[in-house]
Amino acid sequence: MRVFNEIAVVTTICIKSIPQRFWASFSTVVAVGLVVTVLLAFLAMAAGFQQTLRGTGAKDMAILMRAGSQAELNSGVTRDQARLIEEAPGVMKDADGKPLVSPELYVIVDGVKKTAVPADGNLKKAPRSNLTLRGLGPAGIAVRPDLKIVEGRAFKPGTNELMVGRALQKDFAGLNVGNTVKLGNSNWLVVGAFELGGSVFESELWADTPEVQDLFHRQNVFQSIRARLTGPDALKTLSDYAANDPQLKLDVTTEADYYAQQASRTSDLIQKLGWPLAIAMAFGALAGALNTMYSSVAARAQEIATLRCIGFSGTSSFIGTLLESLVLALMGGIVGTLVTWVLFDGLTGSTLSGASFSQIVFTFHLTPAVALQGIILALVVGLVGGVFPAWRAARIPIVEAYGTP
Amino acid sequence: MSDLYLLWRNLFRRKLRTFLMMLAIFVAFVIYGVLGSIHYAFEHGVDSSADNRLVVVNKITFIQPLPYAYVGKIAAIKGVKNVTFANWFGGYYQDARNQIGTFAVDPESYLRIYRDDLRIDPAQREAFIHDRTSMVVGEAIATKYGWKVGDRIPINSNIFTNKADGSHTWQLTVAGIAYAARKSFNTSFIIFQYENFNESKTFGKDTIGWITLETDSAAVNETVAATIDELFANSTAETNTQSEKAFGKAFLAQLGNIALIITLVVGAAFATILMIVGNTMVMAVRERTKEIAVLKTLGFPSWRIWRQVLGESVLLSLLGGVPGLLVAGLLVTVLSKAASGAIPGLALTLPVAGLGLTFMLLLGVITGFLPAWNALRLNIVTALGRL
Amino acid sequence: MTGQTLIHLQDVSKRFVKGKDTITIFDHLGLSIPAGDFVAVMGPSGSGKTTLLNLLGGIDQPTEGSITFDGGRVDTLTEGQLARWRAHNVGFIFQFYNLMPTLSAARNVELPLLLTSFGRAERKRRVEAALSLVGLAERADHYPREMSGGQQQRVAIARALISDPKLLLCDEPTGDLDRTTADEILAMLRLLNQEMGKTIVMVTHDPEAAKYARRTLHLDKGRFTERELVA
Repeated sequence: MRVFNEIAVVTTICIKSIPQRFWASFSTVVAVGLVVTVLLAFLAMAAGFQQTLRGTGAKDMAILMRAGSQAELNSGVTRDQARLIEEAPGVMKDADGKPLVSPELYVIVDGVKKTAVPADGNLKKAPRSNLTLRGLGPAGIAVRPDLKIVEGRAFKPGTNELMVGRALQKDFAGLNVGNTVKLGNSNWLVVGAFELGGSVFESELWADTPEVQDLFHRQNVFQSIRARLTGPDALKTLSDYAANDPQLKLDVTTEADYYAQQASRTSDLIQKLGWPLAIAMAFGALAGALNTMYSSVAARAQEIATLRCIGFSGTSSFIGTLLESLVLALMGGIVGTLVTWVLFDGLTGSTLSGASFSQIVFTFHLTPAVALQGIILALVVGLVGGVFPAWRAARIPIVEAYGTP
Repeated sequence: MSDLYLLWRNLFRRKLRTFLMMLAIFVAFVIYGVLGSIHYAFEHGVDSSADNRLVVVNKITFIQPLPYAYVGKIAAIKGVKNVTFANWFGGYYQDARNQIGTFAVDPESYLRIYRDDLRIDPAQREAFIHDRTSMVVGEAIATKYGWKVGDRIPINSNIFTNKADGSHTWQLTVAGIAYAARKSFNTSFIIFQYENFNESKTFGKDTIGWITLETDSAAVNETVAATIDELFANSTAETNTQSEKAFGKAFLAQLGNIALIITLVVGAAFATILMIVGNTMVMAVRERTKEIAVLKTLGFPSWRIWRQVLGESVLLSLLGGVPGLLVAGLLVTVLSKAASGAIPGLALTLPVAGLGLTFMLLLGVITGFLPAWNALRLNIVTALGRL
Repeated sequence: MTGQTLIHLQDVSKRFVKGKDTITIFDHLGLSIPAGDFVAVMGPSGSGKTTLLNLLGGIDQPTEGSITFDGGRVDTLTEGQLARWRAHNVGFIFQFYNLMPTLSAARNVELPLLLTSFGRAERKRRVEAALSLVGLAERADHYPREMSGGQQQRVAIARALISDPKLLLCDEPTGDLDRTTADEILAMLRLLNQEMGKTIVMVTHDPEAAKYARRTLHLDKGRFTERELVA
């Protein structure tokens, strides 16, 4: 018990003396805070990106693409293949007995980011970014039971009507319901906006397949087939079926797996940038923390020595000093987390996805797991930055209590 | 003994503290050097492409194909000196993750347009033009996979199917290796004969990805671009013609605001050391208040002491920053090799290093200013406690 | 050994403003110190001893009155001129030596020579001579922390002498030393006064120290109370 009382006394002295060295303590807190902010901004970006792609695609939805194509953009699927899949085992049917299969067209068009709109509002001159235009088959909406139309309505088959993903609508100019968009030679009317669980689909434009085929002169060609599965084992049934038919040289995966694989590449890259940067910066902050703590120990040398003189142990000086360092670092960690939260959480960014060659809109997401990593980094800086000065504090000679001029 | 000696002794009065400061500055300048170089390579790589080169793409997006017939039509337009074209192949080697920028091109006209960017042995060039199943490999790729002239390499496509056997593989012979004639040119590519490609692919016959052309001079760029786009207006494939530079910039911009991210990170790193070093300098000078007062008592003029303190912080900044830049230069070289030419021209360039030195001086002056001012204004009587 | 007047204080007043109050240290003080004198100034704390030394050394200026040194006015000099004046004319010796901890004994002694235009060889010669004079030639490369208090004070004396000033100002030069060492230091000061003709003003609490001076001035509440000449 006595040791705890001692530690409490020394810690109180240490913590209470922080304001006396306000600027030194302040600079440590800010330095640690900046390091944590940089780390968390990158991690929140990676987490947001990952969440967008991971959240895309259900486990019970199969996506079929030409073997070896790796991404929808590269793939090509024929109408005959689509018909074969409609009759395949493992594919769910709707109440009327129609298979829930949607052959889809995937093409790239472009649009203008809201941030890129010039001052005069003339979109013709603005720099353009690639967007995905997806042509849906007749069952395209039925295969996606989680789809929510949040504004307007679905496109009517056989018309130049568009539905716009919610994320895309927020990030890009001129995509409100009622707006006309020029894609290629023809004008398209935006009739609705949809949400789909914060997924990549919300970064897309959707229209009726034949219309898109006309625009791009791609009659009878699709990029992928979406098929709803009857159950967890159905994927195997379906891929076995495809493997046994020489006409079906297709790769079969669940939509969830397809997007998860795409996600991991980019978010890995972001994390691989974020961590080394944060660790390098942490060394800088560590230098600051060590300095602050050494000067703190020097400033309290007489007090500590006096306590030692009247019988306090070296251990209590050690722990008290260490705790001071940890408190400062923790404050920095909390400040960094708050700054990230205020500045970055919920911020939308968009980038060119390597696999799809089009923009994916994502939201920075400061998850508790990400925030925890920032706090841990801060505490590591505090621990390393405190342990050496604490060691010195524990070894202050008692004669220092008498003080020297 | 000189003022510099005094300054040096003061700087290393507390070796650990000075070392820690140097470490913090070192880290910040490593970050600056690496990120600054990447930024510079991105900006400069695009900037250095020729002024009179235009790119014609499908108006819908550059991923949509153009008819092959456009090449001849564009060549006939007044003001167009040279025309070539390319088609994206989606190439990779062995594993789908080993993607290589692979283009089907017309050998003769392609190498003519890029004559100032690529260096290739004339004999190898001839071999490429005459061997239908050959390819020219950029230096970065040749080095990465150890390919030599004469090697027969299977290149896979994640888009196209080979009519011959229904596979996605084309067997290509290395006819030559192309070297960058200017530093910032990316040599991470493969080019092979369009004729071979066009005849062996199963779909998209007689279409090409984009057309690159050279105008008589940059002055006629706009006229030529307008003429081309008008020529194909209201056709099934309308075009969008812009300078290669603008095209490159627009593509980079799509990746996200790289410049902003780099600025923010470097800014955060500098703000960190500014806090740490600035505060420590104030502390360090406050510690020797009495010594400064003694120097003044001995008759040292205030400006000389001011100069010493400022010199100390500038020296500290240089001692941490210069090695930081050197290490950054080393890292950038390693990174450039590891990326095998994916970021062409990635090196610690003079402008980046020069700006780094400016930042060091600035950092030194800013962190030293307050303590130097305090030293300048220090009153002997109060500082020595002589009241 | 005393001769012409070296320092002359005429009607010197010194007041400090502290908060709302004005504290008067000196009110129309007068003092003459002839060249070659060795004066001990004694008095209780707060009597103005240190302020007197500050004024004599040109590190503080009087509120009123004039200070003349060797026939020239000191109280009218600007800060920069005063710094130059101090460098040429005054050597300071402090109670706690005030050596630069980062410099060796020789470098500490050399410090004031940075303010002169002497060449390297001349500086070296002078530093060696000054250190020999205080008996520390063999300690030239030692740092202050490696020396005893007495040795440090002797280095400080060497530093005060190096630019050959006419006036030495000592602030409790033996206040931190034991008796034997103090006597050595005081004997050295007396020698400097007698053999080299240095004018010395020494503030001290110690009556034993005062005995080494030619005369002792007692200061109380800003006034000299008696003048005692020592033979």
